Amino acid sequence: MKRPILWIHEEALGPANPALRAWPEAPALFVFDTRWIQNSRISRKRLGFLYETALELPLTLRKGDVVAEVLAFARRHQADGVVTSTGVDPRLQQIAEAIETELPLQELDPDPFVELSRPPRLGRFSRYWREAEPVVWESYSPAG
Amino acid sequence: MPTVQTTSIPGDLPRTFASRKELERLLVEEFPSAEGSLSPIRGGRQAAEAKLSQVNPARYAKSRNHLKGAVTGLSPYIRHGVLTLAEVRDAVFQRIRNRNDGSKLINELGWRDFWQRMWLDLGEGIHDDQEEPKTGHAASSYAKELPADVRDGTTGLACMDGFRDELVSTGWLHNHARMWMAAWLVHWRRVHWKAGADWFLEHLIDGDPASNHLSWQWVASTFSHKPYFFNRDNLVRYGGTRHCDDCSSVHRCPFDGSYEQLEGQLFAPMPAIRSTGNGRNRRDGRPGNSSVNRGRSGASAALARPKR
Repeated sequence: MKRPILWIHEEALGPANPALRAWPEAPALFVFDTRWIQNSRISRKRLGFLYETALELPLTLRKGDVVAEVLAFARRHQADGVVTSTGVDPRLQQIAEAIETELPLQELDPDPFVELSRPPRLGRFSRYWREAEPVVWESYSPAG
Repeated sequence: MPTVQTTSIPGDLPRTFASRKELERLLVEEFPSAEGSLSPIRGGRQAAEAKLSQVNPARYAKSRNHLKGAVTGLSPYIRHGVLTLAEVRDAVFQRIRNRNDGSKLINELGWRDFWQRMWLDLGEGIHDDQEEPKTGHAASSYAKELPADVRDGTTGLACMDGFRDELVSTGWLHNHARMWMAAWLVHWRRVHWKAGADWFLEHLIDGDPASNHLSWQWVASTFSHKPYFFNRDNLVRYGGTRHCDDCSSVHRCPFDGSYEQLEGQLFAPMPAIRSTGNGRNRRDGRPGNSSVNRGRSGASAALARPKR
């Protein structure tokens, strides 16, 4: 990918967004997902919060169908692909999959909270934390 | 961060506003279905960093269960990646003198990471009961709709109406208030957790189905071994009497009573869960509320008994 656009979504609206870090000069887009906003009855409180957050990033802001808007933004910038951050929300994953049917898509993982050598046991927090806590604290040293 | 200039075309939303009022007007115009006003909680990295600079991990550990405790208020920013968990973790590490000072807050960050991993694992299944409720009541016996008096904040319970007002006006609630509200709605009002969880998501700025829905399921006991509930003493201990002082229901408070009394009133008898000695019957602590966890030994008690 030589001329990507960036799709910035609502799980990674900060400077640590790996797509923004990897491509600081690329045109970047945030789309207010109108279907999600209507279906989940998202209040104006969250919309305002997202808007104010997005304004502090170098983003073009749009609203509507996210897939259609991302693809249109790619055409607008004659992009050869889309870079984004890996999402957790299945809705974002589905959007990424739909984009990928039209254009090359690269998903970059955000910095992890804890990197475990094998997937932890979930089901209950205590099981996970038994494995994760010692690893989290490895990077701490009381001396600073 | 460098600013990328792109020429604006029709349909691009504006990037400059004279005031928050102007932003609010635009949101009304562009998103007419969305309800309410802006939250006093501002979005953006600057606001996030200001909040992060105030974080005091040791004070957090001591006071976080109190409504007026030194909680961080970082959740809306973490939820949207304005701050990553890794950034907050590192900030905590830099600020503490010893591991003990930071262990509670790091533990809470761990909860957030855990919920996110669960969501990745469950996908859309996060909207379903993870397990059968352990309340003695069938899952189908819980109301599917949020009662209007709850949505409107007209239940006559000053605490719950007050929490509702805070939720609706600010989009944020202290974790303890979230748990009390969830427990009241599910166990006292017998409303299915999903109705309450979806309503919270409408309003919570930090809401996502990972932390929110699974916490509701934890309270409901469809994602825990026992239901979470509380009594008035607990509410007053961590929330003060400000709600009770003006409550029209103060003499018929549904939360009055010992845990034993409330347990008998709220839950139908269940077969005792025997301790197998392998820890199966131990309950996990819940983020933000270790002091209100259901009892930890739980050798034969089938129902929750918060630690006091």
